[in-house]
Amino acid sequence: MKWALLCSAAALALIASVVLGPAAVPFGELLHSDIVWNLRVPRALLAFLVGGSLGVAGAGLQALVRNPLADPFLLGLSGGAGLGAVLAIALHISGPWALPIAAFVGALAALALVYRLGLIGGAALDPRILLLGGVAVGAFAAAITTAIVSLADAAELRNAFLWLWGGLSSASWDAVLVVALYAPIPLAILLAASRPLDLLALGEEPAAYLGADVAAVKRRVYLAASLLTAAAVAVSGVIGFVGLVVPHLARLMWGHRHRVLLPAAFIGGGALLVFADTLARTVVAPRELPVGVVTALIGVPVFALLLRRWTIA
Amino acid sequence: MLRRLLVGLCVLAACHTPAPRHDGPPARRIVSLLPSFTEILFDIGAGDRVVGRTTWCDYPPAALAVPSVGDGIPPNIEAVAARKPDLVVLYNSGPNVTAARQLERIGIQTVLLDLNRLEDLGPATRTLGRLTGLEQRADSLAIALDSVASQHPAPPPSIQSLAFIVWDNPPIIIGRGSYLDELAALAGARNVFHDVAAPSSQVSLETIAARNPHWIAVLADSAETPAFAKRPEWRVVRAVREGHFLLLRGSLFGRPGPRSGQAVHELRTLLEGGGER
Repeated sequence: MKWALLCSAAALALIASVVLGPAAVPFGELLHSDIVWNLRVPRALLAFLVGGSLGVAGAGLQALVRNPLADPFLLGLSGGAGLGAVLAIALHISGPWALPIAAFVGALAALALVYRLGLIGGAALDPRILLLGGVAVGAFAAAITTAIVSLADAAELRNAFLWLWGGLSSASWDAVLVVALYAPIPLAILLAASRPLDLLALGEEPAAYLGADVAAVKRRVYLAASLLTAAAVAVSGVIGFVGLVVPHLARLMWGHRHRVLLPAAFIGGGALLVFADTLARTVVAPRELPVGVVTALIGVPVFALLLRRWTIA
Repeated sequence: MLRRLLVGLCVLAACHTPAPRHDGPPARRIVSLLPSFTEILFDIGAGDRVVGRTTWCDYPPAALAVPSVGDGIPPNIEAVAARKPDLVVLYNSGPNVTAARQLERIGIQTVLLDLNRLEDLGPATRTLGRLTGLEQRADSLAIALDSVASQHPAPPPSIQSLAFIVWDNPPIIIGRGSYLDELAALAGARNVFHDVAAPSSQVSLETIAARNPHWIAVLADSAETPAFAKRPEWRVVRAVREGHFLLLRGSLFGRPGPRSGQAVHELRTLLEGGGER
């Protein structure tokens, strides 16, 4: 029943996002319209893949660091992606894929740095160090980015920030294809780690007693979740709250077992982002809201309700 | 492209300027913090009194000889003060109001001028004329600029439509609130986003595709078509597919000023000549 509800919500969101839009496409022409086929459909699919990836990455990271506030972007990746994009503009690297690739590389660099910090002094990816390292690396990358933007002459640089919050405007079939080929690998790694992730909730020591290879699981989950997030930021910029709120909602409905939680977070995250993007495109048409604004407007009240429930319970 | 940002900034502030008080002698040492003001000051014959400019003030060429005080966004107070000006001319925007207050506190006279629309050019020019004691030349320039703003263009043979694209991801366009919308109308073109009241706004790509402008106008400093022209999602827009770009020089089109009439003329020529410049 819950699954039927979730899947129909996702299907409805996808259909709405293809049928609705600021441009009036007559119902009969939906199947032949260039606007539908080359703009709306790839954008809806990309939103679904990105939202789903963020949902799963968030669920995995929250289990890994055992902190309900963990968000895929908390680990310094958005700072790294922004720095990558700004560097690409400053160094005049051009080409249609220059910015996404640079952002991806920047996010990977931040990821590597945080990962390395997480191993310092035999810390073995201590959750606290990962979180602090993520915040520190993100802040450091953001500081360098701001310094470049204020000092360099290239006027385009100021728009790099726009790019980072650009949302799904650049969706194309190419982008959908790239994500559809890339995302299944980290997604599968996370799904395969479902059982050890369940054990990890008991604490690292009990999990080890119960047979989980804790160090290997932490490494795999951290890398897979970060790789998903890095791809998401490369194709759609920073989209907040999906990776934070969706895992909590999924946990409320499906409980703490990751084998069900992760797929639910994927479909839920996808549906939420598709729905939010449809609102972003249509409510103030012909103008458009940044999709991150809509996810926050939906996500924050839900989150507040959740907090209330927890504190009362 | 920062000029684009300047245009954007021009548009963000819509507050009204209080009538500038001026009781002292004509200004002798002026720092101009907007390319438009620099052009006006040079045009009315106060160029030799300009002792500071922004990095963007590149016209007339003589202005380049004036020391720069930075990009002016926001103004570097100490760099401005170091030029020992007796008048600082600022564009009326939030951060500039704060900067003006700081300058006044250290005894430097400032004036904040609106310059969002072509209609603002005449009043701004007259104010600068009064402050420099060059009322007569300012007045004749102001009359010329007022006539640019108030002229009713002869309808061209066929009205062409265009969309100004300020940024491609997310797509940001120019709306009715910007003076570029006025320039387009004067040149005999219709901005397809005239219904957007704001000076600029984010829109979805499909809106641009559906409104199907004849031309995509971009402020550019090179003669190359913009990079987004090659992106697959942009090819849904017919004008992009067909390579119908109007590449407008940022230093001329990016700012209202004494050369706005020339900008109108150039845009009209581009439209009639099929975009070749």
